[in-house]
Amino acid sequence: MEVRHLKHLYNRAAFGFSPKVEIDHVNNSKLEVINQLFNSSKTISPLEIDLTELTSVNPKDVIKKEALALKLRKLSRKKLRPFNEAWVNRITTTNEALRERMTLFWANHFSCYDRNIIHVQQFNNTLREHALGNFKDFVKAISKEAAMIKYLNNKQNKKAKPNENFARELMELFTLGTGNYTETDIKESAKAFTGYNHKYFGEFRFVEKHHDRTIKTFMDKSGDFNGDDIIDIIFEQPSCAEFICTKLYKYFVNYNVNPSHIKEMTNVFFPNYNIEKLMRFVFSSQWFYNEENIGTKIKSPIDWYASITKVVPIQFKKGKQLFVIQKLLGQVLLVPPNVAGWEGHQSWIDSNTILLRLKLPTLLVNEALIPSTITEKFPDMEKSFFKTNPDWNWFKKTYKNVTNQQLEDYIINCKISHTLSQLLKSEQDLNKEDYVVQLLSIPEFQMC
Amino acid sequence: MKRRSFIKQSALASSVLLAPSFVQSANSLVLNNNNYKRLIIVQLSGGNDGLNTIIPMMNDIYYKSRPSIGIKKSEALNVTSDIGFNPNFLPMQRLFDSGNLFVINNVGYPNPNRSHFRSTDIWQTASDENQFLKYGWVGRYLDANAKQSYNAIELDDSLSLALKGKELNGIATKNPKALFNASNDPYFKQLLSHQSDQHLSEHNLGYLYKTLVSAKSSAKYIYEKNNVKNSTITYPNHDFGKQLKTTANLINSNIDTKIFYTSLGSFDSHANQLNSQGRLLKIYAETMEALVKDLKSSGTFDDTLILTFSEFGRRVTQNAGKGTDHGAANNVFVIGNQLKKQGFYNDLATLTDLDENGDIKYEIDFREIYATVLSKWLDVDAKTILNKDFKALDFI
Repeated sequence: MEVRHLKHLYNRAAFGFSPKVEIDHVNNSKLEVINQLFNSSKTISPLEIDLTELTSVNPKDVIKKEALALKLRKLSRKKLRPFNEAWVNRITTTNEALRERMTLFWANHFSCYDRNIIHVQQFNNTLREHALGNFKDFVKAISKEAAMIKYLNNKQNKKAKPNENFARELMELFTLGTGNYTETDIKESAKAFTGYNHKYFGEFRFVEKHHDRTIKTFMDKSGDFNGDDIIDIIFEQPSCAEFICTKLYKYFVNYNVNPSHIKEMTNVFFPNYNIEKLMRFVFSSQWFYNEENIGTKIKSPIDWYASITKVVPIQFKKGKQLFVIQKLLGQVLLVPPNVAGWEGHQSWIDSNTILLRLKLPTLLVNEALIPSTITEKFPDMEKSFFKTNPDWNWFKKTYKNVTNQQLEDYIINCKISHTLSQLLKSEQDLNKEDYVVQLLSIPEFQMC
Repeated sequence: MKRRSFIKQSALASSVLLAPSFVQSANSLVLNNNNYKRLIIVQLSGGNDGLNTIIPMMNDIYYKSRPSIGIKKSEALNVTSDIGFNPNFLPMQRLFDSGNLFVINNVGYPNPNRSHFRSTDIWQTASDENQFLKYGWVGRYLDANAKQSYNAIELDDSLSLALKGKELNGIATKNPKALFNASNDPYFKQLLSHQSDQHLSEHNLGYLYKTLVSAKSSAKYIYEKNNVKNSTITYPNHDFGKQLKTTANLINSNIDTKIFYTSLGSFDSHANQLNSQGRLLKIYAETMEALVKDLKSSGTFDDTLILTFSEFGRRVTQNAGKGTDHGAANNVFVIGNQLKKQGFYNDLATLTDLDENGDIKYEIDFREIYATVLSKWLDVDAKTILNKDFKALDFI
């Protein structure tokens, strides 16, 4: 496989390229590389942090004791940050790169926010479990997740007083997209999801007495439908496959959609909704490697961070600082802006975030001063330093046989203009560590 | 050849920079500051308890619903025979008495959302409750009417959704000097001197370069403006005081900025709210009085309007923790010197007709206030920005 294409595949399907990837695959064909990428994601490793304090209680006690409930709620909220940190670290170090990439994509598709860490962790691992599975099973599983039942108010959706929030977003954002259903479809399907609830530790609980058993008419079909029946009917619509393929294309291939490529994808995806099969098709297609798709996407803040760690692995001494960076750059994992998720694309970049993105690499890999504007906002941040352990030895070892001039080929994914490469050339006598920080600090590094 | 012309250009450019940009701004101050209308937006984040801010002193339901946190008539600042201000609102009472404060009661929107995030987004994007907009209402103002990022400034380190537009984003800075220093890195200069048209024509990469250029020039512009005047007025020693002091400095220096976005947080008073809310209201009120004084001293108060909102009000009935939970409609404050009406736009809620959660129902859609400010104050077409026709209210 051509190195340029290998790099593109690893940027989009995983979290970045490195000399190691090149060595591993130098003699492999495209098909072999893709097979290996999928094989290494066959396993599913749930992401778990220590929640014993929260899981060792008896739910009956919590209901009776308000003080205990309050204490647990507080503790639960406190655990969100370490879980966020564990997720980011998973992304930067995983061997199941494709599964984690898909998980990150689905987390923004099934955008959800909750403060109960047990439910959050369970939801996050459901994303991981189904990331390359069957999309219909995936949607059914999501509809029964405690975090989602709360987030989109299915918990309040009762026979006597239906709440349409979940039914609406299920169709508008999760499966069909606007224009492919009617307001009546929403009203009728909301009835089918009545009675959805969850147990204390997050298991699905169906409350029969709140469920509406009447006949619903949904998309020209009538019956005593439950939630799963509604999802089955939705998945009979080819527009569902087209909607998901378009979203995947915008994320993995190009924000500007090519309708004929979407058509090819939809034909693969419909009617079985096999995500793995679809993604294999995308990564094997010729157009995935077209010039207009290479190095033309703006990295999300998480992609940006992950790609830095592919050059110089970073460990934060204070996990909180990793959180601060996400906040300043506009993408805090587990805290999406709303049910539509992050808009992505150019919206990652404004006057403030562009300056930060160009400045931060120096600060992160050199333990340098944080600008006072940042510390003012987070006065509890200890001193004004990013306390990191940048692993320069790893860098030296990994890039041992790479010259300054070649570094660019590993780290920068888009074309560099003649004038900028002149500037870079004039700095190539810098030592390798200093030179690579320069590369991490140019606008071109924001592209993948 | 190219390089030569570049050196020439930059030499020229720097002589312009070194020369009297300060003097220039001082001159233009006299000439141009008249009739340049500006808007300052203040967001009280967390959901300010409007009922304990503007107190219905003659309403039994209020006192029955809040046996331990209701503010007694004897403690409230009586502004009319039946309406009182929170005891910490003395500076606001003075603004009220001088005809510079106008209160709009029961402001909200249909099907109120009680999540901080969501309701803040609704206020910031001027959307319907079930509509998700990608751009903020100030951002859409910029798209339709502005050319520079600094035409809307947020006094913060990162930019809120409110100031994000499709074509143009506002810029955030809490500390113009720090932002300038950050943007003035010699490395950026070097980088930009090596950009070419080829860069700018690349779709996404070009967007990055353009944003960088605009960030650099905006940071410089704001920094220079911030140095023109230095306020001698004392503001509360709090982050919020600093935000508004910087805002006043910039306005008094005749900055080409139409909208300033500021915020004061921690209003989420679920427990023991009397002290915590009181402390915040005091900071808010003292800052507003200092700001008005500051603007008056430079003759800019006539052309500045200050709009204060919170993402929602709080439940009428207090909770078990001597606090209040998330509610719905709330009051909005308008401060200015060109108010057509003074006092109260409408009556306080009677509290006899609450919604299913026991919250105050909205009477005025907040977007009617935006429409008023856009069309009657900033003199732009409100419908383009709000995507819908909202009737303008009659207060400016």
